[in-house]
Amino acid sequence: MLRDFVKNIGYDDPLEICLSELEALLQYNYRISKRSAALLLLQEDPEMFELVRKNEAERAEKIFSIIEKIKPHYSYPLAYIISERRQREASRIAAAVTTVGKKGSLGIKEALSRAMMNPFIGGPILLAVMYYGLYKFVGNFGAGVVVDFLEDKVFDQHLNPVFIDVVNRFVPYPVLRDLIAGDYGILTLGFRYAFAIVLPIVATFFFAFAIIEDSGYLPRLAMLVDQIFKKIGLSGRAVIPLVLGLGCSTMATMVTRTLPTKRERIIATFLLALAIPCSAQMGVILALLESRPLGLIIWLSVIVGVFMIVGFLASKIMPGELPSFYMEIPPLRFPQPSNVLRKTWSRMKWYFLEVLPLFMLASVLIWVGKITGVFGFLVRLLEHPVRWIGLPSESAVAFLFGFFRRDYGAAGLYDLKTQGLLNGNQLVVACVTLTLFLPCIAQLLMNIKERGMRVGVAMSVFILFFSFGTGWLVYVALNLLGLNL
Amino acid sequence: MVQYDKDDKKQVVPLSELKPGEKGQIAYLQAKGKNQMQKLLSIGVIPGMSVLLVQRFPSYVFKLGHTQFAVDKELASSIHVKPVK
Repeated sequence: MLRDFVKNIGYDDPLEICLSELEALLQYNYRISKRSAALLLLQEDPEMFELVRKNEAERAEKIFSIIEKIKPHYSYPLAYIISERRQREASRIAAAVTTVGKKGSLGIKEALSRAMMNPFIGGPILLAVMYYGLYKFVGNFGAGVVVDFLEDKVFDQHLNPVFIDVVNRFVPYPVLRDLIAGDYGILTLGFRYAFAIVLPIVATFFFAFAIIEDSGYLPRLAMLVDQIFKKIGLSGRAVIPLVLGLGCSTMATMVTRTLPTKRERIIATFLLALAIPCSAQMGVILALLESRPLGLIIWLSVIVGVFMIVGFLASKIMPGELPSFYMEIPPLRFPQPSNVLRKTWSRMKWYFLEVLPLFMLASVLIWVGKITGVFGFLVRLLEHPVRWIGLPSESAVAFLFGFFRRDYGAAGLYDLKTQGLLNGNQLVVACVTLTLFLPCIAQLLMNIKERGMRVGVAMSVFILFFSFGTGWLVYVALNLLGLNL
Repeated sequence: MVQYDKDDKKQVVPLSELKPGEKGQIAYLQAKGKNQMQKLLSIGVIPGMSVLLVQRFPSYVFKLGHTQFAVDKELASSIHVKPVK
């Protein structure tokens, strides 16, 4: 039976003649057969055109003119003709070698799939996924139970005293002691934040994300939100980097490469930098607003509002092709535990290799900054906008830290809360401002790398003013309404 | 080759005009730009294939072979199908 399936798919005469002419002219080794190369040319593959222009010297013009000459023979683009021919051959082969069983009722998977894509049932399902996956698992368990254990039990009671003791015994210079085990020391602050606060949060997030990803839920979410996302200049496809941004916005900025147009990539990068809090930051924010449900609701509404309004305006201002949406909806699957663990592990490794050195570096920079007085100067500079939005001057430090890593800054605020320096209103204003405030240094670098210097810097400057502006508005609004959260 | 004669075109409607559960055979594509046409071809939306519209809102979902795809209204209306009873 196999001999029925020819190796090459034959096309009709004009196309075959054209193919043999092209094959004769192609001299360079493209590492694929000459016929494949010629077919790519006929389908107007831009990469193949570029290669031919570079490598075929004087033959290139002749090649392009042959392609132009064949086009008028057909009333449809050649890519269309070729795909159709291939599809027919593929269907013929498939029909000859497969049998399709009769399918009974829809089955539970199909029913669940339809429910996820139903606009009325899909919404509550999304809320349930967010509530259990993000709030309960990442927020309460990761950022609550695990962080408390590592912070209070492991670091405060056991590790930090040991660090301080050892350093005091073996390091004779107080300046160096500060660097290693002082208030902002590499071990006592950088290492502790990275391991006790950030690690449990990103680990639980990446675990939850891997389960959601492997189940096939994301494409269904994408089709559900497509129409809403069109209003902010994105297509449903953008839901994947944006949800990943709730884990690590730096990683998500890299993932915006999967978006088809430059316009979508810029808008998504911008929204990730401005309005999508990463998991570490969100964990700390959930902890800060833990006993204040109204505060949490206000924080959430402001961030969602900013996301929609700024996205809407950006889509009005940005020139370029409007997004179109198409996506495969794979069957729902039960996630394989080994796959989920492997994905979580590799993402954590990536994150940790990136974050740990930065935390250490931040400690060193703060140490240098403190010795030289630069840090003090920047903090005093930041104290002004911080006071305008009604926060104690001490929180300026947290905002400066926030630039080294957003989560680092949020963790700084957490320290202030534990000391009882912030009331409810101040906590909400601080959380809003810090969520919108400049992305961490890693994300800033990623923005510049992916979007170029001009766009990367312009975004950051806008965000600097916008975050404090919004913080101020929230502060004023809370006061005018006489709310005490 | 699928026939593209004029009579045929008269009975042909955009996929976006089918009701959920209705089937059709793809007759031709009329996409706005070359990119959109390429996208459709690359996911296997090719004349002659039969499609089943699964749902219309909030996005169009159709079944093509053993695979389901979601597209927006614009792409759905560029796929022209001949309804099959």
